[in-house]
Amino acid sequence: MMRQPRPARVSAGILAVGLVASAAVAVLAGNATLAFATNLACWIALTESWVILSGYAGYISLGHAVFVGTGAYVFVLTWGMIPVWQGFLAAAGACGLLACLIGAPCLRVRGPYFVILTLGVAELAKNIVINIEAGLGMFGRLLMDGPGPRPLFLVACGLALVAFVVSYAVRHSRLGIGLLAIRENETAAEMTGVPTVRLKIVAFVLSAIIPGMVGCVMVARSGYFEPLQIFSPQISLTIVTTCIIGGIDDAPGPVLGAVFLNVLSQALWEKAPQLYMVILGVLLIAFVLKMPDGLYGWLMRRRRAA
Amino acid sequence: MSWQLLLSACVSGALYAVIALSLNLIYGTMRLLDVAHGEFVMAGAFAGYFLVTLMGVPPVLALLGAFALNGLAGLALYEWLFAGIIRRARNTESLESTSLLVFFGLSVILQNGAALAFGGTPRAYERYGRIVHVGGVAITGNRLVAMAACVLAIVAVLVFFARSTWGLAIRALIQNRDAASIVGIDTQSAFRLTCVLGFGLAGYAGAVIGLMQPVSPFMGGQYLMIGFVIIVLGGVGRLVGSVVGGVLIALLETVGTQLTGPNYRDILIYGTFIAVLLLRPQGIFGRRAA
Repeated sequence: MMRQPRPARVSAGILAVGLVASAAVAVLAGNATLAFATNLACWIALTESWVILSGYAGYISLGHAVFVGTGAYVFVLTWGMIPVWQGFLAAAGACGLLACLIGAPCLRVRGPYFVILTLGVAELAKNIVINIEAGLGMFGRLLMDGPGPRPLFLVACGLALVAFVVSYAVRHSRLGIGLLAIRENETAAEMTGVPTVRLKIVAFVLSAIIPGMVGCVMVARSGYFEPLQIFSPQISLTIVTTCIIGGIDDAPGPVLGAVFLNVLSQALWEKAPQLYMVILGVLLIAFVLKMPDGLYGWLMRRRRAA
Repeated sequence: MSWQLLLSACVSGALYAVIALSLNLIYGTMRLLDVAHGEFVMAGAFAGYFLVTLMGVPPVLALLGAFALNGLAGLALYEWLFAGIIRRARNTESLESTSLLVFFGLSVILQNGAALAFGGTPRAYERYGRIVHVGGVAITGNRLVAMAACVLAIVAVLVFFARSTWGLAIRALIQNRDAASIVGIDTQSAFRLTCVLGFGLAGYAGAVIGLMQPVSPFMGGQYLMIGFVIIVLGGVGRLVGSVVGGVLIALLETVGTQLTGPNYRDILIYGTFIAVLLLRPQGIFGRRAA
């Protein structure tokens, strides 16, 4: 008898492969591989966090970069004043707090209006930070003597690991079932006693904390903070596309999407960034229309059929 | 408030109204969540730019050219993409979320495709640059032409939807799609017409912008936002609401920028948008959401 692929087994497998690969990279890899692996870990962390609210509950956010930027900004502001690890915590805390504050009003707004709202909030936050910086007379900030690439890689791996585990745990808990119910039919979920408001806010806060810390890793790596870059809509777009390509129904999906897109971006981004973005758009449309449950859903269906 | 400011608010108000009208047609009639609308405006701006600079078309005719080109592109996209999406959707929610992602992809393709093809640097052409005095107020000729072009387009659209059979049919579809098809309205043809009109108008608006400002592949985003702010203010599917909303937003933008400074323009627009969505998602003139 064919063994059925169960989500738990697949996720455990991905976790094991990820841990072995990160250990190998941390010990053996040269600079180029290390940079690639750090990128990959960051994207896995970002996409796993996005999928908690936008995948499971269907509240699609086109402005997830707002948390990356906010985290990075807090990290930069506290730079040199407190130890680096506390800077990470401050960023995480600030993003969690921000999600609490804007979550309650924003998540009342449903469907298309929520989507447009996320675009608006991201742009508003970006412009506020730009204006604050301009008011302070700062046009970009440099971070001197940041952590080296290897410690940052380990942090990124830790974030990816936590995001993956949290995403998996949420999906297979009461919280996850509630979120799926919200995605299928929010009114019906509310009628049958799902505490929709509370679940949505919890999911929102969970999905906001990790990107805040990923933002810290990103500025610490580049050693440079520039609001237009770190609040870039391109980050939000890549998160959405990665998740749709990988699949938004369970934790392994975003990992598959992130691996696929990072390999593609490695091949194309430096040589032809605009061509890469066009391909990203084409892939997004193709997957939405032809393979709406993503690579992961497709693989699982093939296994089941076999 | 000075007449100068009022006139400049009228120019952008008329432009915003055209953009909001076109977006409202696409979203209100077909429930396609067109987040690529800014990029369709950008495409029209480039169409206008090339018609004028490469082919020597008079700018006023280039506006119509941009309308036609964008309308045709909209029709092609409908046949190739949107019709299938609409047919396969289980309900309005799934239609909105699928179309959102598709349009998100389209916006990236258009933006970066344009950057690949035309380069990222803004381009401008100079036409009707003479300064005209209206009463005591000075205005450059191109802004006057732009305003006139927008007002004409608005009147034409409103008359079309108030008087013609097809206009009435589309309005019926906006109100209730199922009921409209039961009484014998040809949904497919009405959707095709809506696509031509909606995307065509977006292109027209883009070409109008080209009369006043440089065009670049990345100019679209702000117009998408403005379009949605106005639709939320004026109500989904309510065409007159879009016109009133457009003028309101332009007034707010002009006066607000005057009071606070040009750096705060984006904060004002996005702030208003968020405030309206949070406080009154059914719009200022809207009934409760359908």
